Amino acid sequence: MVTTKRGKEGKPELTYQFNQGFAQPTTIPKLADAAQYGEMLNDLNVYELPTNEWRAATDAYRSTGTYITQAGQERTAPFSPEALALHRAGTDPWNYPNTDWYGETLKTWSPQSRHNLQLNGGSESLRYMASIGYQNQDAYYKNSATGFKQYDMRINLDAKINEYIDLQLGVLARQEYRFFPTRGAGAIFRMQMRGKPHEPAYWPDGRPGPDIENGENPVVITTNATGYDRDTRNYFQTNGALNIKIPGVEGLKFQGTAAIDNLSRLQKRWETPWILYQRGNGFEADGVTPILVPSQRGPAEPRLRQTNINQLNILLGGVFTYERQFGDHGFNALAGVNKETVEGNDFFAYRRYFISPAIDQMFAGGDAEKNNGGGAFTRGRLNYFGRVAYNYQEKYLFEFLWRYDGSYIFPEASRFGFFPGVMAGWVISEENFWKNNITAMDFFKIRGSWGQMGNDQIYYDGSLQEYQFLATYGFSSQILQNTEAKTLYETRVPNNAITWEVANNSNIGIEGQLLQGKIFFEFDYFYNKRTNILWRKNASVPQSSGLASLLPAENIGEVENKGFDINIGYRGQSGDISYSVSANGGYAKNKILFWDEPPGAPSWQLSTGSPMNTPNPVYLYDGVFPNQAAIDAETLDYSDITNNLRPGDMKFKDYDGDGAITPLDRVRLDRNSIPRFQGGVNLNASFRNWDLAILFQGAAGAIAQVSLGESGNIGNYLLEFYENRWTVDNESSVYPRIANRSDQYYSNGNDFWYRSSDYIRLKNFEVGYTVPQQFGERFGISNLRFYANGLNLLTWDKLKVYDNATGQYYPQARVINAGLSVTF
Amino acid sequence: MKNIKYLGLALTISFLNFSCDEEFLNAPPQGEVSESAVWTDPGLAEAFVTDLYKGLGQGGFSEQALASLTDEAIFTHPGRNITTVTEARSNPQEPGWMDYTRNWPDLYSNLRATNIAIDNLTDPSFANEGGIADRLLGEATFMRAYFHHQLLRNFGGIPIANKTFTLDEETYELPRNTYEEVVDFIIADLDKAATLLAGKDLTGGRATELAALALKSRVLIYAASDLHDMPTASAKSSVISGYQNKELIGYTSGSQADRYQQAAAAAKAVLDKASGNMLDLSEPLSQEEAIQTYINNSLSRNGGESEMIFGRYFLSQKPETGGRHGLHNGPNGYNNWAGNTPVQLLIDDYQMMDGSDFDWEEEDHASAPYEGREPRFYATFLYEGAPWKPRSSANQARDPLGQIQTGTYEVINGEGQKVTHFGLDTRNSPIEDWNGSYTGYYIRKFIEPDPNFVDQNTWQEIPWPHLRFTEAVFNYAEANIALGNDEEARTWLNKIRYRAGLPALTASGEELMEALINEKRKEMVHEEQRFYDARRWMIAPETLGRQPNGINIVGTLKAGKDVTIYSYNTENYDYSYEVIDIDPGKENRLWLDKMYFMPINFDEMQRNRELIQNPGYED
Repeated sequence: MVTTKRGKEGKPELTYQFNQGFAQPTTIPKLADAAQYGEMLNDLNVYELPTNEWRAATDAYRSTGTYITQAGQERTAPFSPEALALHRAGTDPWNYPNTDWYGETLKTWSPQSRHNLQLNGGSESLRYMASIGYQNQDAYYKNSATGFKQYDMRINLDAKINEYIDLQLGVLARQEYRFFPTRGAGAIFRMQMRGKPHEPAYWPDGRPGPDIENGENPVVITTNATGYDRDTRNYFQTNGALNIKIPGVEGLKFQGTAAIDNLSRLQKRWETPWILYQRGNGFEADGVTPILVPSQRGPAEPRLRQTNINQLNILLGGVFTYERQFGDHGFNALAGVNKETVEGNDFFAYRRYFISPAIDQMFAGGDAEKNNGGGAFTRGRLNYFGRVAYNYQEKYLFEFLWRYDGSYIFPEASRFGFFPGVMAGWVISEENFWKNNITAMDFFKIRGSWGQMGNDQIYYDGSLQEYQFLATYGFSSQILQNTEAKTLYETRVPNNAITWEVANNSNIGIEGQLLQGKIFFEFDYFYNKRTNILWRKNASVPQSSGLASLLPAENIGEVENKGFDINIGYRGQSGDISYSVSANGGYAKNKILFWDEPPGAPSWQLSTGSPMNTPNPVYLYDGVFPNQAAIDAETLDYSDITNNLRPGDMKFKDYDGDGAITPLDRVRLDRNSIPRFQGGVNLNASFRNWDLAILFQGAAGAIAQVSLGESGNIGNYLLEFYENRWTVDNESSVYPRIANRSDQYYSNGNDFWYRSSDYIRLKNFEVGYTVPQQFGERFGISNLRFYANGLNLLTWDKLKVYDNATGQYYPQARVINAGLSVTF
Repeated sequence: MKNIKYLGLALTISFLNFSCDEEFLNAPPQGEVSESAVWTDPGLAEAFVTDLYKGLGQGGFSEQALASLTDEAIFTHPGRNITTVTEARSNPQEPGWMDYTRNWPDLYSNLRATNIAIDNLTDPSFANEGGIADRLLGEATFMRAYFHHQLLRNFGGIPIANKTFTLDEETYELPRNTYEEVVDFIIADLDKAATLLAGKDLTGGRATELAALALKSRVLIYAASDLHDMPTASAKSSVISGYQNKELIGYTSGSQADRYQQAAAAAKAVLDKASGNMLDLSEPLSQEEAIQTYINNSLSRNGGESEMIFGRYFLSQKPETGGRHGLHNGPNGYNNWAGNTPVQLLIDDYQMMDGSDFDWEEEDHASAPYEGREPRFYATFLYEGAPWKPRSSANQARDPLGQIQTGTYEVINGEGQKVTHFGLDTRNSPIEDWNGSYTGYYIRKFIEPDPNFVDQNTWQEIPWPHLRFTEAVFNYAEANIALGNDEEARTWLNKIRYRAGLPALTASGEELMEALINEKRKEMVHEEQRFYDARRWMIAPETLGRQPNGINIVGTLKAGKDVTIYSYNTENYDYSYEVIDIDPGKENRLWLDKMYFMPINFDEMQRNRELIQNPGYED
């Protein structure tokens, strides 16, 4: 259960917090401009010719814009030299635009704000805390139809009934309101990247320009011109806890808890056609302004889909605790149970053929093709748990703990799993031999633990894999002549023996303090081994069995994960300045010990022995053929992957050394998208009424993929590739020839496209000022603090083109905040 | 004090109580139904059998059409692994584009479902009221044959799937059955299905007795073909003659003539049971009627429905890929994607109205190649000047007439100067140029021609013909030519020709077979026939191996003509037509004999050590 703020005894205290922030994307890819893109499209056109014509065709395109092929055919460059010059000059935005699609779509700073008002107080027997809050967050887009609003209200009561009983009650009501245009962030960011720089986002008179495809001009699909997609979630959560000291047995207590969480959610998706403007023929009456013609894009007619979702989570718990000290011997025992149920249902209705976009209500839709549907689910878990702890003089510490967990995910026979654990600690600094000899280090402890945890959250194919032990058929439909018939299909072959995944966690660590706590350190080494990992045997069971898509999860996988965590710090004071510096870091590397594999695959392509979630095996990049001479000199046989090597093609390593580049030369990389090393440095300082906090974060050891999958005649290229690409003039042996989307054998599936995503980032920088108390008291203010901070202000990274964490789509935010907190 | 003790006791009891009741942990899915319930309820059992038709995928209406793997078309967009096949780069690790309807894992998954149905319906746990159990068993048996035939024609003999595997099998490694065994298995299933389905009146889209007969005809004519007669195939291909396991890909004994006899009989059974659409003519239809009839047949409407023997249907209420054929293939100037575009090699095979061949050497033909062609040309393609639907509102000013523009033309601009206008449906078009055709043609067949129907945002409802009557006619004629019954073959081919508005054939012998090949290429274009026909007839090296080509059209203003908005008009323009090869950097076709069969996937070979690889991929 989440612990929330509770009332403090005393007279009513009112606190108001306000925060105003401004956000912008951390990293936006740098793309080619109109003329650069035009040159690249000319290149692509040339590369369709036989290689011995590339030089001549390139020269002809540059000088005249036309080329007569050796076969005698006249070809026209997609961009004539004159057109390129005009795009470059930018003097004729009607005919030769140069559009920065990110610049046109995104604003510099997007506002976000928060308000919170909190009341706090009470007597010894009854304390209260109540608050109301509001949040408002805008998206990155200019003319944004995307945003988030939240309203919340909370009341917490703590009552002491008598010597033995106290009671806590809490209520939380919150509305989260998210709104979007009907084209999501995925489409918008995709189209900014694809946006052709030689086409206008807006015409010079302000009307929106043509789409890139499917009506998706990003400056329009960010707005409500496409309709809207609204998601309103109302949460109503109540919780209570009853604490009873059992009379007659000293140290024995009972706690009963209940949490009832209700979510009701309404989604409303209203799709309407929108208008873009294309060049028509001729000019307006003024003779210079080109005629623009409106064009309807998007859905054929307005349509509406409304969905209601309700979910009720109930968590009931009861725990007995017993805690007593007998001289030097301390005992602590606990036993409890938690029962969790989740019930959900949903219902939707859909209509199209609205006669007008003016009425966005269901009744106004047409009768043809109207649709509705609904469904429900239930989930349940039951957990028993306990702990027995003993210490002697707080010097020697022992603990045994256990869980006995049951889940609806598993069948009755294997539903429950028992997961024990032990811990031991020795505070050496409490021993006399230490106290007498090592005075500088006032605290030093060695500790170790071993324990098991169970996991029933089996996720793959993007969803939670429930019901793996049940032979049930799912519903679908199939179109027959003039009718849509309901159908049933086998959802899986059941695994009756499915049970918990187990994590065996062991850990050994030390912690200590020097100089009365001025210096502190902590170091842990861990070795975790996960067994019974649920996975399918679809790599080893032949597909001719017909089982390929139906295999259930089986408890087959084994993975180890080992590494260390370290945390050291220093706290100091000099005069009015107090400060602390701390650094933390962790290294973790996992390795698959057992996985389902195709029996005959070569060792260098297996998952086993590699970290989890590495990309599928790839060719190893080995430079680029700079020219025909290099191809002629090549001794490796490339015929398995191309009939025709051409200058600017990528070279691969012959990993298995058989003299030919074949798919057996693909190698599984040793890295994935999760950094092996992550760490941070924290600086905190205060000087009189000023405070300062700085956090640097860094990570290393992960890779990220750079994709040019939509670069070519349907989308723009990264500037980096314009500047470095192989051309007939730049016989690069590093960067390959540009491809049209993924049309070359080297366009993907090799490690050239994976880059280190190592980074160091100034994650947080905050300065605060607390108004001196004497000053505030005059206005009845007990505390007043102003602050300003910045998130993700600076980043030094290797990936550069995208944000490290989010890739091409909706990048992480850089936020600048200012705020105040005042208490009366 | 005492009360508190009781309270504590009560709490402890209720606490123990709720923790012991574990019934709530049984939480089965509420949107699914248990397997056992399905097979005791005819309504649910029918729903399961209906789902077997999912294995038909989108029919032939995937975005990538099989036509683009043949000399019918090329695919416009890069990166779909189509050139892996057309450039003969397929290998066991990278076989190239295979859609759901032809793919090994999907076909075997679908076969499993047919076996579950057959297991549970053979001795059904519900009453066979009105023959429901028989009918469902018949449908499932037909689909088992259908999926096997897809595997057979792509991979040769494969492990027969006639058993429902569990998780606890001794082994899953099954060897391949011989080609002959698989054919026999399919035929046995089809005979059984035909018997079970006889006399049943079923909704279109379900298997029928006639569908079983038509599929049997196809399987047997394939089995009789040269590619699967090992002595003949070995003589024509060193890759096949060098293959150690010929029984996997064809017949190593028996007589090819006997197999043609069986094929002829199977085709005749179809012809005796149905009549198709307008195949009872005694003279050619007029050009106009023939065009309309061919369009009706391909749209399955206005009488064309009777051509359909087994189809995959679509309704816009369930938006599926198969309803986007117009978007996927229509012209870029109509905001469509022009994925599979016809090549000049195909265009040139369409005859003149009088039944003579088209010939670029003939001045009349070369100067006006789209005039006087046989009716199916106009019903099948969009080409320079072809009338089509109105363009989108934004583009109507550029082309008020709604005509296809695939050339480059002179027009007069506002200042009275001659400037170049690039056709709206070319790769230099101002409208989505990257989707323009490389060949200068677009497919019209199977696209909704209703002028009010906007392909870019509407789903069409045109069914895909998996089996249509005319195919059985071709099968019958083909078998008869092979058996020397030219007269019987000509009689039936001429029925097709009359319907197509063409005069009767007079050829015989090898020439007659040539005529059949050309006739079927046109009549059944874009119906997933050519890919298999070119292989089984072993004409692939000289057909599929050819470099694809297209047309370069230039319209020059005649003296004194002043055109500001282009439209096709021979009064205003002199047109020149020049055939051009597709650039090798776009697609560089090659035929190698390994391409007669698709490779078995490398991983599958490793999973199943009993499998033997197909010829040319062994390494």
